[in-house]
Amino acid sequence: MSSPETPAAALMPSIGERESARRVRRSSIKTTLIFWSFVAPLMLGLILFFFVPIIWSIVLSFSEARAVILPTGFAGLRNYRDLLQDQQFTSSLLTFTIFAFFIVPTTFLCALGLALLVNSAKFAQGFFRSVFFLPTACSYVLASIVWKMSIFNGTRYGLANAILHLFNLDPVQWISSPNPPWYWLVLVTVRLWLQLGMYMIIFIAGLQEIPRELYEAALVDGAKRGWQTFWYITVPQLRNTSIAILLLNIIAAYQAFDEFWNIMSGGNQSLLRTPLMYLYNVALGSQDYGLGSAGAMILTIIIIFFTLLQGRLLGFGRSN
Amino acid sequence: MSTSVVRPAPRVTLKKALLTTLHYGVLIVLALLFLLPFYLIVRNGLATEQEITSPNWTFFPSALHFENIGELFSDSEVPFSDGMVNSALIAFLQTVGQILISLLAGYGLARVPYRYANQVFYTILLTLMIPSAVIYVPTYVVVSYLGWLSTLQGLVVPGIFSGFTTFLFRQFFLSFPRELEEAGRVDGLGYWGTFWRIVVPNSYGIIAALSVITFIQSWNAFLWPFVVGQDRTAWTVQVVLSNFLNAQVLNLHELFIGAAVAILPLMVLFFLLQRYIVEGYKQSGLKG
Amino acid sequence: MAHGSTQSRRHFLRYSASLALSGGLLAACAGTGGGGGSNSDLPALTHWYHQYGEKGTHEAVQRYAKQYTKAKVTVNWVPGTGNEYPDKVRTSLLGSNPPDVFELPNPTVDQVKAGLVVPLDDIISPVLNDFNENALKPLRINGKIYAIKMLNDMSMVYYRKGLFQKAGIEKEPQTIDELISAAKKLSNKDMKGLYIGSDGGIDALLYILGWAAGSEFLTEDNKITFVNERVAGAYEKLRELNASGGLLPDAPVFWWSSEPFKQGMCAMQWCGLWAMPEIQAALGDDFGVFPFPALDAQSKPAVGFGGWAEMISAKSKHIDAAKEYVKWLWIDNTDIQIDWNVGYGFHVPPRKSIAAKTDKLTKGLAAKAVEFLNAYGHSNTPYWDNAMQLALTDAVSNIVKHNADAMSELKKAADKCDKELQKLLS
Repeated sequence: MSSPETPAAALMPSIGERESARRVRRSSIKTTLIFWSFVAPLMLGLILFFFVPIIWSIVLSFSEARAVILPTGFAGLRNYRDLLQDQQFTSSLLTFTIFAFFIVPTTFLCALGLALLVNSAKFAQGFFRSVFFLPTACSYVLASIVWKMSIFNGTRYGLANAILHLFNLDPVQWISSPNPPWYWLVLVTVRLWLQLGMYMIIFIAGLQEIPRELYEAALVDGAKRGWQTFWYITVPQLRNTSIAILLLNIIAAYQAFDEFWNIMSGGNQSLLRTPLMYLYNVALGSQDYGLGSAGAMILTIIIIFFTLLQGRLLGFGRSN
Repeated sequence: MSTSVVRPAPRVTLKKALLTTLHYGVLIVLALLFLLPFYLIVRNGLATEQEITSPNWTFFPSALHFENIGELFSDSEVPFSDGMVNSALIAFLQTVGQILISLLAGYGLARVPYRYANQVFYTILLTLMIPSAVIYVPTYVVVSYLGWLSTLQGLVVPGIFSGFTTFLFRQFFLSFPRELEEAGRVDGLGYWGTFWRIVVPNSYGIIAALSVITFIQSWNAFLWPFVVGQDRTAWTVQVVLSNFLNAQVLNLHELFIGAAVAILPLMVLFFLLQRYIVEGYKQSGLKG
Repeated sequence: MAHGSTQSRRHFLRYSASLALSGGLLAACAGTGGGGGSNSDLPALTHWYHQYGEKGTHEAVQRYAKQYTKAKVTVNWVPGTGNEYPDKVRTSLLGSNPPDVFELPNPTVDQVKAGLVVPLDDIISPVLNDFNENALKPLRINGKIYAIKMLNDMSMVYYRKGLFQKAGIEKEPQTIDELISAAKKLSNKDMKGLYIGSDGGIDALLYILGWAAGSEFLTEDNKITFVNERVAGAYEKLRELNASGGLLPDAPVFWWSSEPFKQGMCAMQWCGLWAMPEIQAALGDDFGVFPFPALDAQSKPAVGFGGWAEMISAKSKHIDAAKEYVKWLWIDNTDIQIDWNVGYGFHVPPRKSIAAKTDKLTKGLAAKAVEFLNAYGHSNTPYWDNAMQLALTDAVSNIVKHNADAMSELKKAADKCDKELQKLLS
């Protein structure tokens, strides 16, 4: 959509925006048809494979549904109440919000940093791009196993402990001991390793989209290469890409599951549980699909809240 | 107006040299750190079971047991090559389907001035925010009643519709240089024409990037192929690998070598496509 | 990208999909295993197993299926570990094509309430007394039995006889305190005394500690009974054990794999009967076993009692045929039961008379293990479900790792369990 999302001060003022707004008001049947000819295949698929299950889940969340997928009774808000009063669930939400506040900016900045470093390397650029992107090819389960078994295991010969040993330090129980909670280090490093490459590549594609002429024009106008061109050209041009990456990061943080499940296994799970792990135990373990769906709705509402917050602050992307 | 810009000759060469060294130094250290886990996977894959679980873990194994690779392919319990073929087929179909559908939808959302485009966009975003691990059960029931269990369509089709890829394409197209599209408009092309003749050929970067990402996500998917595939012929490579993670007998060396082999096609794909990610525009930018 | 129309591209995709459909996957799914002969009058049954790791198990189950002449049985050997197989089964039960016969550790109250599984009393009642009561407890809901046990798993403590002698430990620990001191004595800089998992032993000993304190968790008349000083004391002992320095805090594998014990990382390890053959192969005679010791003289030792049981889906189109098949396998057929239990790993046949006839289990340490199982085995009723286990696990984790007050943690857990119980009973 070409009209601006927020009334906030535009970094890219354009008269073209207002003109296109006028054109929009004459929304014709032709435009509608053209729009749907582009978007229909996606929507049809989403309706069948997402919206039907989502609506079904919403219905389940207000129902009694244990070991069955069809409601056996109306439960009103009971599932929601039970979850929100469950200290195990609410503490998982709180821990996760803190985790998200930390991991989202970190991933964003590191990915951007990597993208800039790699994109501006004059040779072996392809090599570095590949190396950083490669972990994306690794599954979360496999990475978790490597992290748990080989790098951060608690024996003297785990890689991390072997390094400590070099400095004559005692081995640390990275995963199973809560004081101090070193497992955060394990979980954050595995997540960064797995995800940075993907976001980096998207940033690189965004960086490549920036017309070179913008930079050259700026230099003619006396801007210096480096910080000034970065702040005044690169950042605004990356706006749309950044918004997407930020949003996807937030969503991913709240849906964290695989590496947590595999690294904090057995009794260690009690030390740290993501909301989704709790729901997985509930919906699939206890087969309480009503409760599980209610939990999914609660998580979704939280994600929507942060998305709207981001939208309010940064917008959802403008056309140039 | 194009003028050639005369830049002053680089003044402080020492500073520049130091910065460049620092730049590459950081890149190299990071690269080594990023490669370390892959080394561990290959190392464990070429070691014996004892060497992997032993308390005396050494960085370099005493001998490289390449026969583990042979073991992987000859294990009758574990249809590894079949799994690779299934994964390749499913990932290919899903990638082509998903990229195509998301490309179209992303452009429509970004450029066609439809009155309710925003609302449609938000509903698409909504599908990303629901934890899929919880709604996969109703999705499974839908697929099962469609009669699609253990069929190619059952494994492929649900994964073709992605809010994630659509979102990224939309953002990209929002920043696409309008001038190019206007040029097409001047030549009498409508939305479709502009899309296929101008926009797409200049978007190889994002298309390549998202194709690789989609292929990898499809290749690494476990839950859906596991639940929908009812028997061994429908196993994808990830499901095959989970054979090695059983509760009774440790088979870690096969798991690691299997995982290493399973990652290879992804690496190949990435190496092949990555130059497109950089090339970006076929016809670059503004001229005159 | 080519400039052809998108229409033709989409048609191509549909076309190639249907091409692949007619060959490949779909055709293969139509008839796995065995030439599709003219067995059209025999009922067709699908039989799901989770993938057992021991070599030969897959061939064995296929052999059993072939041996059965009254139905055409297709075996599905499902990979994965942990929760994957049960999740897949439970999900399939909701779809349109559930397996006819499948195994699970136990049925759940919710499944029965939802009418998803078939009661099997008619098959088992003639021989009901031949089953250990603790084996039947998790399978009985509202007085009806919903699953037939296929194998019994048990776990206990393995120890190195030679190391015990060297450390001057003369007899096997009879109380938890003796266990703790033995673990401390056996620890040195190269090896630790006891391995119970990399999570501080919470997963391995969650129920064992309560049983070793002489308590139950949920009685058969649905009373929650684990909030008492003795159970609290037992969990505090686990805390003590963790702090004693006698535990192997971590190993590359979890407690159900005997690698740490075999490789000399620990002098004792909590592990299962299933591991005995490989331990025997690695250590010969230099090992012994004992049950997890009692809290003190007022209670008895405890061992774990697990395994898998066969169930029949209520949506099956051939329930009677399925019942006959299950009866043939796990009630009548002695040879199969013995073969299945000890032919590939070590498990105890659930029928007591058959266990008595199983040679491999009548001598040596295996026989001791069977004695432990019969004397000290405990199990939980089906009303004790996942949510309750989660609450208890969190409580024990707080007690052991966060030094929380045991009684108050147990009370909190009991409250949650009670809420869950009310839901199940309603």
